[in-house]
Amino acid sequence: MTSLRARLGLGMMLSLVAAIGLLLLIAGVSVHHLMESQMATRLAHDGDTLLGGLNINADGRVTLDARRIQGIYLQPFSGHYFLVDVDGQVTRSRSLWDETLAMPDVAVGEVSISHVTGPDQQPLLLWAASFRKQGRLVRLAVAEDLYDLQVGLHRLWWQLLGWSLSMVLLVLLIQRYIVGRSLQPVADAVDDVARLEQGEATALREAVPQEVLPLVQAINRLLQRQQQRLQRSREAVGNMAHAIKTPLTLLQQFAAEKVRDTDDATREQLEHYIHKINEQVDTSLRRARIAGDSLGTSRFDLHKDLPVLVDTIRRLHRDRRIEFEQHLRHADTLPLEQQDGMELLGNLLDNAWKWADSRVRFSVDGSAGPPVLVIEDDGAGVGAARLKQLAQRGVRHDEDTEGHGIGLSIVKSLVEALGGAIEFGRSPELGGLQVKIYCRWPEASTGISQ
Amino acid sequence: MRLLLAEDDPELGTRLKRFLDRQGFAVDLYDNGVDAGFYGSETPYDIIVLDLGLPRRSGLDVLADWRSGGVKTPVLILTARDTWQEKVQGLQKGADDYLTKPFHEEELLARLRALIRRNTQTVGEALTVNGWELDEETQSVSNGEQSWPLTGIEFRLLRYFMLHPGRILSKSRLTEHVYEQDADKDSNVIEVYVNRLRQKLGNEVIVTRRGQGYVFGERP
Repeated sequence: MTSLRARLGLGMMLSLVAAIGLLLLIAGVSVHHLMESQMATRLAHDGDTLLGGLNINADGRVTLDARRIQGIYLQPFSGHYFLVDVDGQVTRSRSLWDETLAMPDVAVGEVSISHVTGPDQQPLLLWAASFRKQGRLVRLAVAEDLYDLQVGLHRLWWQLLGWSLSMVLLVLLIQRYIVGRSLQPVADAVDDVARLEQGEATALREAVPQEVLPLVQAINRLLQRQQQRLQRSREAVGNMAHAIKTPLTLLQQFAAEKVRDTDDATREQLEHYIHKINEQVDTSLRRARIAGDSLGTSRFDLHKDLPVLVDTIRRLHRDRRIEFEQHLRHADTLPLEQQDGMELLGNLLDNAWKWADSRVRFSVDGSAGPPVLVIEDDGAGVGAARLKQLAQRGVRHDEDTEGHGIGLSIVKSLVEALGGAIEFGRSPELGGLQVKIYCRWPEASTGISQ
Repeated sequence: MRLLLAEDDPELGTRLKRFLDRQGFAVDLYDNGVDAGFYGSETPYDIIVLDLGLPRRSGLDVLADWRSGGVKTPVLILTARDTWQEKVQGLQKGADDYLTKPFHEEELLARLRALIRRNTQTVGEALTVNGWELDEETQSVSNGEQSWPLTGIEFRLLRYFMLHPGRILSKSRLTEHVYEQDADKDSNVIEVYVNRLRQKLGNEVIVTRRGQGYVFGERP
């Protein structure tokens, strides 16, 4: 896996090191040259002074005017030395003590600058020149110790290197921070996708940098298209229901009216067929409406949707006095799309309301993985034979007629279509029917916010 | 009982209007949301049957308009849309009951009667006031000993009286609740029917309050 952060960091570090290295090299060499050329100029001045103080007597003796000689040339091994050679007659500075320096060969009128090793292994910069004075050949050599200069340059160089490395480190840290900040929208988008999966959001936020925006927009467009498709198919299903059921109503009422008193058997037969058509249509339409794991749809919210649903059921059964209890453990939402949840719980609670004596209990336990839903009532419940029949997979509800039939069959087909499991039994505490639903479908594991 | 029926299918609409007329309702049928919405808020209906899939304005929007505009008439939603999502929406927008197609006419009638009773705070299966019992199935009234059959308008009028016992009901109010929208509304006709009811049940049953109206079931 490639990391943008690592790549940006590495690239930044390499280019910084190269740039600063080159800069250090250029700076080091330039400073070195500058210092040496200054030193050479100083040596040339000293040489001129020496030449000015050189006297050749009429008898050919060579003397140096002591006033013209700086004190530094008198201290032994001071690092400043000179040699004067007049036709082979050599005068050395006192600082040389009993050492000497090699006099380079320089033609008259020329100047040479060279590096030599002096007394005490001192690295010296040596300036040498030849003149004609009073008809005699005068050769001059002036040298200065380079050691202090070299040490200073070295120190400077190391200091620069240290500062440069600190700068590189600082810049890398700043860059790391900037990259982190710049990549935060990507991390946010990843969070958004997670919230999307959990049904807490229906789209990604578009407040992101322009580089990330096209990606986010593309995802949102996809989501929107998916939601529109779901919406359209639900609308189509609704229109289909409308289109079929109005004529079906007419047919039913026509049948009821025409054969009301004449022929019971025919009427019952007709009503049975109409009922069957209706149930078949309902089953197919219900399946078509299931959103399942569509992304970008909101989930059934136990704190928001459940109270509204219970209120609706109370209104529909205004004449019934039912005490409703709910126990929600570690569950805020169900791993169900909102309308799927309405359909599932609507049928279950409506059924319980119809058959309860006075109590209906709804519990959700999400403490151990996918939530388990339990709906119980204190009604008469259903017999063992019916329980067995309900437990069979794929029993079609057009075979059910009365009692706990249709609502439960709808719930059962819904749970089966989602891939969960459903259990019917007797409520141990309330005594009526108990329906248990295990939300074991794939997205159920991410659906519960703790 | 004035009943507003909003249904866009012409066949089902006509059929239901005929059926409900026979059951003693003064039915106005509208086949679109805009008209239903307007008349529902302009006319003092006793009950409304509303289809959700109406052209021009959806039933849910019409219902929301009525409730926000202070219309308290009980509303029964009659629709092919049978998901719980739609039921929840309908009832949360202010409907009082929800019946899905296909349905039996008798089921609709039973629900309408239950809604009217609930709305007028009358309890019990049969409508009984001061020993008079109105049989809605046979459209007749009895005092426990004798039974009198009623004509359509007589039944509508007596039912409205019996649902509002002890209250002064003006002629115009009675006209509004007994006749449908496009009927020939002459409030003097009410006088004729009040007299017919008096002839059948006795003069003291309906008391005239001069300049105010009539009172049924006033305790002596």
